[in-house]
Amino acid sequence: MKQGIINSLDLIEYSFAKETKNVVIKPNMCYYWDYTTGQTTDPKFVAALIEVIREKISPQINISIVESDASAMKCKYAFKFLGYEKLSQDYKVDLVNLSEDKTKTAKVSSGGYDFKLQIPQTIQNADLKINVPKIKYSVPKVKMTCALKNIFGCNPYPKKFKYHPQISEVIVALNKALNFDLCIIDGNRVSGIQPRRIGLVMASRDPVAIDVAASKIAGINPKVVRYLQLAANEGIGTTNIIHRGIPLDYYKAIYPKRGIQKTLRRKAFELITALGLNKKLGLE
Amino acid sequence: MQRVRLGIIGLGYIGKIHMNHSLKLPNIDLVAVSDYSKKALREAKNAGIEKTFTSYEQLLHESDIDAVIIALPTHLHFQCAIQAAEAGKHIFLEKPIARNVEEAKGIVTAAHNNSVKLMMGYHLRFNKTFHELKTKMANGILGDVEVAYATFISSGPFFHRSESNTPLPVPNWWFNRELTGGGALMDVGIHIINLLRWYFGEIKQIKSHLGYRFNLDFEDSAICLIKFESGTSAVITAGWFLQGYQLKIDFFGTVGHAFAQHSTKSSLKTLVQRLTLSVPEFRQPHFNELHYFANCLIRDSSPSPSGEDGLKDLEAVYQAYHNSICLD
Repeated sequence: MKQGIINSLDLIEYSFAKETKNVVIKPNMCYYWDYTTGQTTDPKFVAALIEVIREKISPQINISIVESDASAMKCKYAFKFLGYEKLSQDYKVDLVNLSEDKTKTAKVSSGGYDFKLQIPQTIQNADLKINVPKIKYSVPKVKMTCALKNIFGCNPYPKKFKYHPQISEVIVALNKALNFDLCIIDGNRVSGIQPRRIGLVMASRDPVAIDVAASKIAGINPKVVRYLQLAANEGIGTTNIIHRGIPLDYYKAIYPKRGIQKTLRRKAFELITALGLNKKLGLE
Repeated sequence: MQRVRLGIIGLGYIGKIHMNHSLKLPNIDLVAVSDYSKKALREAKNAGIEKTFTSYEQLLHESDIDAVIIALPTHLHFQCAIQAAEAGKHIFLEKPIARNVEEAKGIVTAAHNNSVKLMMGYHLRFNKTFHELKTKMANGILGDVEVAYATFISSGPFFHRSESNTPLPVPNWWFNRELTGGGALMDVGIHIINLLRWYFGEIKQIKSHLGYRFNLDFEDSAICLIKFESGTSAVITAGWFLQGYQLKIDFFGTVGHAFAQHSTKSSLKTLVQRLTLSVPEFRQPHFNELHYFANCLIRDSSPSPSGEDGLKDLEAVYQAYHNSICLD
């Protein structure tokens, strides 16, 4: 994993600034699902990244791993269950529940909407912010989750469903406000129709570009991912990608993509939900 | 008594299943429900249940209720069951009987002292395939069963709580060992302990190895070695770590081998069954156990699994905790 991270950073010619003092790492934690499901960032991947950062910058550098409470997930349990508490002890890094962090209000516009967002102090104070997302399918409105969507988890407000009506705009607004420096995808295991180990590590300074590449790997047309197009329009990054390293098609071929059967089932479920029959049939 | 007038206490996951089944059963009149959630009570009202209460004490005061289903978190079983018994209500109590042996004994004593029937909710005993296995054993087809393997591994309360892939919040009590009494062995392992006791009789000795992959305050997996008084040995595996559901029993006898499996649900089949308003196949054991409980009350017979069974199962779990072996 460590070599994979180093190689991916070399491919994008990334070098860590020596004067960096505080690093924030945002892994993807989703509910209490184990990393083997492909839904959450492997703590071993984060451990490897910590080793790289300490070797390249300084062994004494402050590193915080951040996540926030969500409607169905409490950070303190997620840190514990998913192995981050142990990681924190072994590597002497801080675990920060952003929902308990001090915040500052920021006004951000996105897609014609104005949002008042709470910006956590730990992220504000960091001079290097690293996004460590997963590639996975998401609810129909979002379609896929990767770098941009992972930042939605930096919103300290726990009842995140409040933002669901404008989810694309909020994802983009948060990315504008928090402005992460680097994305490194933990694609060792990915989640498609099933988890699969594909051994991918991909890095970029541009969250839009890396999401475009990720969507291609997952077999999703980036043009249909609304927040991706919106992020490009808002100047967060570019959809015109320059790819280096192993061709995307290699990973696309082995990614556990949705087949016609799963797609039909999903469409049927969407129809049932739209007709309001899901609760009646006990499907929710 | 032609039909049992029933009250349901607790409309969480399992309480709602019992509510839906009670509304379909010909020998039950579902009279009242109680839950602290007003949303759950609204749903019950919409389903046609006349009386809804935010506290179970109110429900227990209703004179037209013969029996109650207690589907509350484990730590609330003791207090609620005692009050139900004292109110003269027959009790269907979800497993595990209580969070500790002392409370379990209190529940059994209260039911006995107040002459109310107490049945434990172990739906697997009402599963057709597990019944067939018992018949095979009884008919001698397997010879003497020397070794049994039983596995019940699921996602448990933490790792998947929805049928539609959208996770649901985990109620706080699940995180507290004081309230649950234990982990995977207490939650799902107790089902197979009860089932194996049904097949082989009383347990002579039980030892365990407990797993803690998810760093919980209680085990998320358990492997137990059991010796029964009857001479059969068993290995049981219980777990909360699988993104799915597996429940299987294998019997190796001196003559033959047999196994039984609780089928996992087929989405399409379930959808069709729900559209036709029939009980989905994987829910049939829950439906059957409630039907049986009501019949026991109507016929004035003793239900099984009883409160004493629930107590013995819990004692076995605690014996397993006490006799745990560390293999690390």
